[in-house]
Amino acid sequence: MIDKSRRRFFKHAGLASTALLLTPKGAKAAQDPNARIGSFIDLTKCDGCKDREIPACVKACKDKNHTKYPEPKLPLKPYWPRKEYEDWSNERDRIDRLTPYNWTFVEKVTVDGEDIFIPRRCMHCDNPSCLNLCPFGTIGKSETGAVYIDPDFCMGGAKCREVCPWNIPQRQAGTGIYLKLTPKLAGGGVMYKCDGCADLQAIGEKPACQSACPKDAIVFGSFEEIKKIAKAKAKEVGGYLYGLDEGGGTGTVYLSKVPFEKINSAILKDKKDKGDKRPGRPHMSPDTPDNMEDATNWMMASLIAPVAGVAAAALSVYKSTKGDKNEKDN
Amino acid sequence: MKKITRQSFSNRIVHGVTAFSIFTLFFTGFGQMPVYKRYMLNEVPGFAWSADYGVTLWWHYFFGVILIGVGVYHVAYHFFRKEFDALPKRGDLKDSWILIKAMLTGKEEPPSEKYLPEQRLGYAFIAFWIGVMIITGIIKSIKNVEGIELNNSLVFWTAHIHNLGFFMLIIGVVGHLGAFIFKANRQLLPGMFSGKVNACYIKNRHCYWEEGVKEAKKAIKKSGKDPEKECEDFKH
Repeated sequence: MIDKSRRRFFKHAGLASTALLLTPKGAKAAQDPNARIGSFIDLTKCDGCKDREIPACVKACKDKNHTKYPEPKLPLKPYWPRKEYEDWSNERDRIDRLTPYNWTFVEKVTVDGEDIFIPRRCMHCDNPSCLNLCPFGTIGKSETGAVYIDPDFCMGGAKCREVCPWNIPQRQAGTGIYLKLTPKLAGGGVMYKCDGCADLQAIGEKPACQSACPKDAIVFGSFEEIKKIAKAKAKEVGGYLYGLDEGGGTGTVYLSKVPFEKINSAILKDKKDKGDKRPGRPHMSPDTPDNMEDATNWMMASLIAPVAGVAAAALSVYKSTKGDKNEKDN
Repeated sequence: MKKITRQSFSNRIVHGVTAFSIFTLFFTGFGQMPVYKRYMLNEVPGFAWSADYGVTLWWHYFFGVILIGVGVYHVAYHFFRKEFDALPKRGDLKDSWILIKAMLTGKEEPPSEKYLPEQRLGYAFIAFWIGVMIITGIIKSIKNVEGIELNNSLVFWTAHIHNLGFFMLIIGVVGHLGAFIFKANRQLLPGMFSGKVNACYIKNRHCYWEEGVKEAKKAIKKSGKDPEKECEDFKH
């Protein structure tokens, strides 16, 4: 198996070749790396706001985004021919997982006798598979790198959740454009997730979760700076980082004193012990693959194919013309 | 029954590979919507893979690349050979109507060139939408690459035009196959498999196709028969 740094090299080599072939006009050649905002979540600082009824980041997120939460049209109808639908509208106060009404939550696990609190939400991937593979192009990325879903055009097919390495977006039935287009046959609502407070980032302000955090455990900033801070802090405390390479690389970097394998095992065990099969509690596996790792190869193949087509046609015509000529000469 | 070559080996290969690619792309592309899991196709024995986006996407890209290569080959091949018989001509819409009306009423058809006027229109319709699918497909594959950030509106409209193209191509393919409802058109079918069609069919129905008629007469004469008499009673 090719290691991650080699894979990245091949990707960028592919990119460089593409740049020679393309001069994109409607496209930004690449996002300005200086404009990219990332976040650092320091688990050595987060205490899950134990003394509060609801963690400050979770409350701030709800206060900021409650106007965007769905108001489904009742009665909800099953996704024909299936008999079920996804509905969280009666559980709007739930804060133990990601739902359409709760875009961040704090996962609590115990590892080696120590409680660890992990604020979870969208990782805002470098190359988000949700954005790339949405069949309706309704997922976008802001100038600062925040990945967001357009609720006006989302059909709620939930493909984004399936292709997301952490299955982050969550669905609410009975809302969205599918009710107007194909209420019975396709679509299933609207997908919701953290949008990185893209509106605040755009005006140079900090996302709500950072502003509310009493422990400064969540820090947003220039992604290049964030990476430096995270690496320096990890070295200082002898800790582990998560998010730099997982899922192909993300805009969120976690720091923990305990290995993420152990944190992940604790999350999975807790879910198993509680028989928790509902979505919204993401894993934290260090072996999270990049679902877009073949993208460069396919792009190169689709750009080489026309050249190969012309070359094959030229050869074929040359051979047939030569054949005709020989026939005439004979 | 004497036969002449109507479609070259190259054309038949292009047609076959294009058709197979398009049907596979229909299936794998529809799987991206996503509907196969909802409609439980993945529960049909042997189709569990249909709801796996990783699998259907891989095949979608694979046949997409094949279609791009073959499509460009086809255009370049005929451009280099200066063969433009299949392209629409002025008056094709009106002539198609006259021809279809004749087929429906059993009246005598107006003579045609190598391709029937509605064939040329159908070809242009399908070729146009294949072109749209190829261009939008390539944009989509470029967008997938890390470090290339396309404008959000471009991504949105590319996705929707690609989806529209999917439905337009289905209409095109259904229309293409629907042409064989007419008995008269069925004589053309072997042309895409063996490459050969009945010589009298060409002489009578495609009498404006000079080269074809010449070949047809030659083939009939070669068998020691008179082309005019031989084809007098031929009904397509």
